[in-house]
Amino acid sequence: MIYLDNAATSLPKPLAVERAVLEAMRSMASVGRGSHAPAMRAAETVLDCREAAAELFHVPDPERVVFTMNATHALNIAIRSLVHPGDRVVVSGFEHNAVTRPLHALGAEISVAGRSLFDRKTVLREFASALSGARAAVCTQVSNVFGFALPIKEIAELCKQYRVPLIVDASQAAGMLPVDLAGWGAAFVAMPGHKGLFGPQGTGLLLCGQEGEPLLYGGSGSNSRMQTMPPDLPDRLEAGTHNVCGIAGLLAGIHFVQEKGIDAILRHERDCLSFFVQELEGSGLELFTGADQTGVLSLRCPTMDGETLAQRLAERGVCVRSGLHCAPLAHESAGTLETGTVRFSFSPFVDEKQLREAARILRDLSA
Amino acid sequence: MTQYLITFRSLTHAQRSSRVLERAGITTAVIKAPQGLSSSGCAYAITLRREPEMALTLLKQNGLAIGKLFQRGADGRYTEWKV
Repeated sequence: MIYLDNAATSLPKPLAVERAVLEAMRSMASVGRGSHAPAMRAAETVLDCREAAAELFHVPDPERVVFTMNATHALNIAIRSLVHPGDRVVVSGFEHNAVTRPLHALGAEISVAGRSLFDRKTVLREFASALSGARAAVCTQVSNVFGFALPIKEIAELCKQYRVPLIVDASQAAGMLPVDLAGWGAAFVAMPGHKGLFGPQGTGLLLCGQEGEPLLYGGSGSNSRMQTMPPDLPDRLEAGTHNVCGIAGLLAGIHFVQEKGIDAILRHERDCLSFFVQELEGSGLELFTGADQTGVLSLRCPTMDGETLAQRLAERGVCVRSGLHCAPLAHESAGTLETGTVRFSFSPFVDEKQLREAARILRDLSA
Repeated sequence: MTQYLITFRSLTHAQRSSRVLERAGITTAVIKAPQGLSSSGCAYAITLRREPEMALTLLKQNGLAIGKLFQRGADGRYTEWKV
């Protein structure tokens, strides 16, 4: 098998992640529900993970690292904390449904800024034009479809200038590009644990630059007489039992990223991209490439629709994702809404041999 | 032996405070606060045997907010220690 669907879920995971999950399952109980040894082991692991994430993503206090089920859950908390019906919200032209659906559900007025693929200058110019008077801005750091790294640092500066709270969707960036909650002055940063952080599915993080409003209400193990959620983070946003096994795995995943270094991971993924593109030269496939691209490549085949191509690749052991990737807005921006694309996404576990073989099969199928 | 107990708003605060004090050489344990020490229901606390003033100073220096400080008497009752 050649796994090139890391933008959906990274696979394989580092061995340390598997071990940590198993160890947690064997020895850890619920956080904040007791002071016996299995509960405290869980609590220590969860705090270790908050501290590791706070260090990696420049969060001033580990309390401001909130565990969620995934990035979608985190984005829903962030959006519902800031946006009310009728508010105008600026988003980039490359947002995922995890951003646009909550905004639609709230009845927000959505202003789309920056629809030019691989054109950071235009994105910035359009954000600058749209921000005045907006209630909030939501921007993906990297397009999940095209790997386009948006100029998030500069967008954050603009948001500060216009006093517009910023929510960053770091789903495709965490573990590969710098994520800097404090430096950006962002209101919230959301990310999954199961992509570039190599944690298990069912884990996510919300980094809080400001107080958030609960999306779920329930037990927190603290202030139990109150019938409202506790006022303090993280308890305020973490109702119910934690995914301790997942968080233990996520901690091991974050350690893997810290040991490898995000610069080295990004360099490797860009090397994979360059090599794969080179292998496909002259194939007749339409490749979406440009400046500021991470390890994600979308393509279209002139002789076959994307879903069929992905199915045939799967039959030959190459795992990719096709369709709209839950991001119709990004496809609309790039002019691929009617066809979708086939997406190849890399990881530190992908090597040239695998890429050469995947390119050979792809050429063979699309000929 | 005298025992001091500091309550916190959340388990995370208690854990972080415990780590700060342990790093400074003050032995602590994180426990669930005894009933009656917190007006809002379940709460966490840390216990320590000595140097409560130094502990409070260290926590303040590290930006960690505490609830209340108690001293446990020989009869097992807790008395709030006004700082």
